[in-house]
Amino acid sequence: MERILVRLERCVGCRSCELACRVAHSYSGSLVEAVGERPAPSRRIYVEPAEGSPSPFLCRHCEDAPCVRSCPTQALVHDEETGLVVYDPERCIGCHGCLMACPFGMIQPNRREGFIAKCDRCRDRDRPACVEACPTHALVLEGDFLKRRRRNAVERLSRAAGWALGESPGLGVS
Amino acid sequence: MSPLRVRTVCPYCAVGCHLDLLVENGRVVGMAHAVDSPVNGGNLCAKGNAALDLLNHPERLRTPLRRTRSGWEPLGWDDALDLAAQRIQDVLRRHGPNALGFLSSAKCTNEENYLLQKLARLLGTNNVDHCARLCHASTLTGLAPVLGTGAATNPLTDLARARCLLFVGSNLAENHPVAFRWVRRAKDRGAVVLVADPRKTPTAWIADLHLPVRPGTDIALLNALLHVIIRDGLEDKAFIRSRTMGFQEAARAVRDATPQWAESVTGVPARDITRAARLFARSKPASLIYCMGITQHHNGTQAVRACADLVLATGNVGREGSGLIPVRGQDNVQGACDMGALSALLPGYGSVMDPRSRAALEALWGCAEGTIPDRPGLTVTEMEAAAGRSLRALVAMGENPMVTSPNGNRVAEGLGRLDFFLVMDLFLTESARSAHLVLPAAAWAEKSGSKTSADRRVQWSPRAVDPPGDARADAWIITRLARRLGLEPFFPYKTSEEVLREINRAVPPYAGITPERLQGAPAGLHWPCPQEGHPGTAILFQDGFPTPDGRARFFPVPFEPPPESPDADYPLCLTTGRVTAHYNSGAMSRRTPALMDLSPELFVEIHPDDAARLGVRAGRRVGVVTRRGKMEAVARVASTVPRGVVFAPFHFPGTNRLTLDVVDPEARIPAFKAAACRLEPVEEKNARA
Repeated sequence: MERILVRLERCVGCRSCELACRVAHSYSGSLVEAVGERPAPSRRIYVEPAEGSPSPFLCRHCEDAPCVRSCPTQALVHDEETGLVVYDPERCIGCHGCLMACPFGMIQPNRREGFIAKCDRCRDRDRPACVEACPTHALVLEGDFLKRRRRNAVERLSRAAGWALGESPGLGVS
Repeated sequence: MSPLRVRTVCPYCAVGCHLDLLVENGRVVGMAHAVDSPVNGGNLCAKGNAALDLLNHPERLRTPLRRTRSGWEPLGWDDALDLAAQRIQDVLRRHGPNALGFLSSAKCTNEENYLLQKLARLLGTNNVDHCARLCHASTLTGLAPVLGTGAATNPLTDLARARCLLFVGSNLAENHPVAFRWVRRAKDRGAVVLVADPRKTPTAWIADLHLPVRPGTDIALLNALLHVIIRDGLEDKAFIRSRTMGFQEAARAVRDATPQWAESVTGVPARDITRAARLFARSKPASLIYCMGITQHHNGTQAVRACADLVLATGNVGREGSGLIPVRGQDNVQGACDMGALSALLPGYGSVMDPRSRAALEALWGCAEGTIPDRPGLTVTEMEAAAGRSLRALVAMGENPMVTSPNGNRVAEGLGRLDFFLVMDLFLTESARSAHLVLPAAAWAEKSGSKTSADRRVQWSPRAVDPPGDARADAWIITRLARRLGLEPFFPYKTSEEVLREINRAVPPYAGITPERLQGAPAGLHWPCPQEGHPGTAILFQDGFPTPDGRARFFPVPFEPPPESPDADYPLCLTTGRVTAHYNSGAMSRRTPALMDLSPELFVEIHPDDAARLGVRAGRRVGVVTRRGKMEAVARVASTVPRGVVFAPFHFPGTNRLTLDVVDPEARIPAFKAAACRLEPVEEKNARA
């Protein structure tokens, strides 16, 4: 599955991603109703100040993940196919070994579904809520990022070419 | 240079998980998951993952401390040990050896427990005991006459091979999370999981059938299960005939224990009891796992026997995937018992009243005949009751009775009356604060030694780093203290290996567990391992039982209601237990910031109906009162507890001020699990404090 890339330099700390994550993981799926839900729906992305500027953090879905190593019941597994660290609440016993083991602090205790909350990369959506919500595109899907980079490159190239062509007297661009 | 990787055994519970410490320049720089470990395969729970916080913790004791009028005064080891020896000798001279008490520790190594009981007994007293008295003493007294040995019959790995797992009063998922990997595997292979517990614990979460039994009525449930098995003719007749005695008496005792009767006593629907009994008897091999929910009652010994009867009647002993599994709580509580750190038992479980056992030990130690007293000494709770009366001096190694013992106010008074109270610990615990002398001890990774996990697996845990400051291994402290008490010839040891070699001769099941073998055994060795070259015994009783006639014995078990039932003044039942983020008295886990984040405070769980009726609001402080004391806790409203029952963990000071110090007549274990209580509102100004 496509990875979510973070462009730290673009984050303005608006926390739209956190809010969108909460709504996406609420029972109702709507902001108005999610606000009143108890227990409150949890976020799985965290905007933390790092070196004075805000930066979004989310689960890396590590290949050799410490949380997966810790888990005695295989409630957390690394799915070879999707490349995601997947949580199965049915298998979880709430020992919270994963939470202690994660070097990034990306797993939180939570009692809405099983015993923890971590990024599931929005299984039921085409594009993760946080990515959709980010106004500055600090969060982007890998494919979009590459597509945008290609498009930019082509734009630059064609602009450069156009400039060069425009200067050519024989073709008369006007 | 890459860091050195040192494989140690986790200092928390009794699963015996491996922790790989990364050591660089004499300091632990990190931890790696021991993915190739035959025990835990790298899995670790929250506590195991946070264990490193105990090394170099800012609150670790770094020097001996003496209490003076103006506060704690640091002193050197020579002065500290001289002082301890002199005060102990004063008490000996004035009041005799039985005025001394020794609290040994399930958190220390086999070697250290062996040394402390040796010191006590050479000084002429059997007043040596440890916290097994508070957890599985009833397993020892209950199973000794039934099976011949009071320990888990099968390794924990065997849980994965069972077709049916019956948990009675065990919350394995929260308290031994890594052992649950085998339960989960069994379930994946189609095993049936039955859980009898008043609360819907995370263990009950995965159960096929949860039997919410009223606290203190487990025997009624177990008897009814046996009743159904016999009524339906599901007992293993061949096994009963060839390997047991006394089945008829046991069958007669449960003749009237019908599921309907049990429903009225336990609150568990009769049809669920019938279903559970049939599932347990028909799914072979089956395992019965029990824990504090069985043992910590006024009739704990009897409840343990009721569990054993069920396992024997279904022939679930002596084969792979079956068994009776008392899950021990501490990393070395099994070992501390094996080493004879108990008031009535010598190393290897010989009775102090048996002249031959005493004589053998005296011959091995080379001391005068008659040195070891022939009468059982005082137990943990008896020492606390006698403290400041007949007991004048107490040495506590890694124990925190102020938090762990029942009726805590009485314990605190007793400790305050002592002439001399010496504590050896990692931290200045609640109990250490009332000591006259506190000696700084080494943590698990700072000393070498062997530990025995819940399933009799003996493992070597090597020293990875030096202790902080002037802290020393308990073995070092005991040896030096003993030498100052004139016992130099009996304490010649320089290393833990030398002590283990003596244990090889003193404890027959450990005879083949030599330091050399143990250090080279990646999965440890299961005792009994009676000689060098023996592979160890993972599954007990495959051929016979270590009883006089080689047969197991059924015990008819009568049901008696708990000594304190809810009444008009105290209408609720308080039951206690553990949470996954904390460990026993909390001396370690409450000092670990990451674990405190997970579970920051003492709480009390109340059913929503009771909460509504009593006006208790979630998140507010509430007073919990019993006949013995009062505490304040944050209310948690949860339907995981049944109506009429409240639950509080005992990791924080407070809970055990409330619990009942009525003890089981045989095991002398306190009835922690059921006390009548009431809830009281707390003044609002306190609520904000």
